Amino acid sequence: MRQESFEAVISSHHGEIYRYLQRVIGRSGDADDLSQETFLRAFRAYGSLPGEANVRAWLFAIATNLAKNYFRSETRRRQAYGEVRATVREAEDPTPEAELASRQTEAMVEGIVRRLPLKQRLAFMQRKIHGLEYEAIGRSLGCSADSARAHVFQALRKIRQTLDGHGLLPKEPQ
Amino acid sequence: MSKKPAVCVQIEDDLLATATGEAGPSAARRVETHLAACATCRREYQEYRAVDGAVATLRDEPIPNGGLAEAREQLETRLADLRGRLLTYRIFPSPLGHILIARSELGISLVEYLDRGTSLRASRLSHEPGVELVEGGGELEAIYRELLEYLHGRRKRLEWPLDLRLTRSDFHRTVLQATAAVPYGAVIPYAGIAQELGKASAVRAVAQALRWNPLPIVIPCHRVIGTSGDLTGYAGKKLGLKQKLLSVEGIPTTRRGGTLGIASQAMYILYPGEREYCLPTCPSFDTHLPAPLTRFASREDAEVAGFAPCTTCRPDLHPISH
Repeated sequence: MRQESFEAVISSHHGEIYRYLQRVIGRSGDADDLSQETFLRAFRAYGSLPGEANVRAWLFAIATNLAKNYFRSETRRRQAYGEVRATVREAEDPTPEAELASRQTEAMVEGIVRRLPLKQRLAFMQRKIHGLEYEAIGRSLGCSADSARAHVFQALRKIRQTLDGHGLLPKEPQ
Repeated sequence: MSKKPAVCVQIEDDLLATATGEAGPSAARRVETHLAACATCRREYQEYRAVDGAVATLRDEPIPNGGLAEAREQLETRLADLRGRLLTYRIFPSPLGHILIARSELGISLVEYLDRGTSLRASRLSHEPGVELVEGGGELEAIYRELLEYLHGRRKRLEWPLDLRLTRSDFHRTVLQATAAVPYGAVIPYAGIAQELGKASAVRAVAQALRWNPLPIVIPCHRVIGTSGDLTGYAGKKLGLKQKLLSVEGIPTTRRGGTLGIASQAMYILYPGEREYCLPTCPSFDTHLPAPLTRFASREDAEVAGFAPCTTCRPDLHPISH
């Protein structure tokens, strides 16, 4: 049985899981609900979690599973992609001011990430935003660590290609 | 578009990994050597560095926290509700048949003999309103091990935190609390519990409360018997289990006609309110009014419970021979 109280688990991880789901889901209300559901599910199983288990990776796995279920609904998926397209169009609007270039790049990256296939997006978020190990990411996605790494690399390739296509990458070696 | 040289294709994964902080030292060295000789890959490397920088910006960008506090508050509310309903259970084999053990966050809330099957459907929990059930894992193993030790006579106390949420009324709760105080190796009549609660006439109500004891064994309702010494009843019609539990504690039972009862003459006695235990033949016996007696299987159990040998009949000098 674990010694750490569940209150301590919430205090340590709720903010991060909330942010992860905000980024993955993109819809604030739904992300709220899923972050709550993540911790309610965790509470139900917390007593039987082995003492040596990595609680943070376990919570990400629960949140990832909930996100996958969320997107499994075809209607919601269409809604989500519709929103992403709107976000991307907005990001693609030309801004003549040079000082806005990096903000444009950032918005563009965010848009590309949201448009990634779900497994790539979840793997990318867990690795590049939250720094989880590939083993844990693989477990949460139901694939190997190598596959999880391949998802992340594929996402990075797409980001590079898209930024390049919009002239947002350096042209000469520095 | 010119085709990429094979050497550049081969190193592409390592190049990406190196530029984005994912490569090990040997891959990074290979990439470094290659970049020194390949302008195309140097450009690609710089692009991935720029991608990594953009991702880092994304990572560091704070997400508006406005909703976080509210989400946390809602989580706490929903969690409090779940805490009030959630029971974790497991079903274990035992010398007394299959037993279901359930616990809440506060403590053990149910120990149930499953005599109609070995699944949750055979449990009263499957009909219990307002309860959410989760099959437990290792957290109930330790409880089970202690229960087995108890049933094999290797442990005399089950000092578990208890949660009496499944009791049916406040009166039942007080009966269970009084029963929990009956010492190991002792028996007391239902009338004794009723008297302790200041409700001497509520003998049947006490028996009824114990019939619905959600925590048999740990709240030792098997130590409560009829005034005549008959075992009377246990968890419905499970007198055999009551006899087994009493024998684990060394309490002798005997069959009188068709009725199971304790062997009263082979047990030490204690009058209500007294601090000294006696032989059943104690000469001071007649000086007391008839009263519901507590009986002990052994002097050791009586003394562990805090009682001293009677200075008149001297059970310490003349112990009952078994």
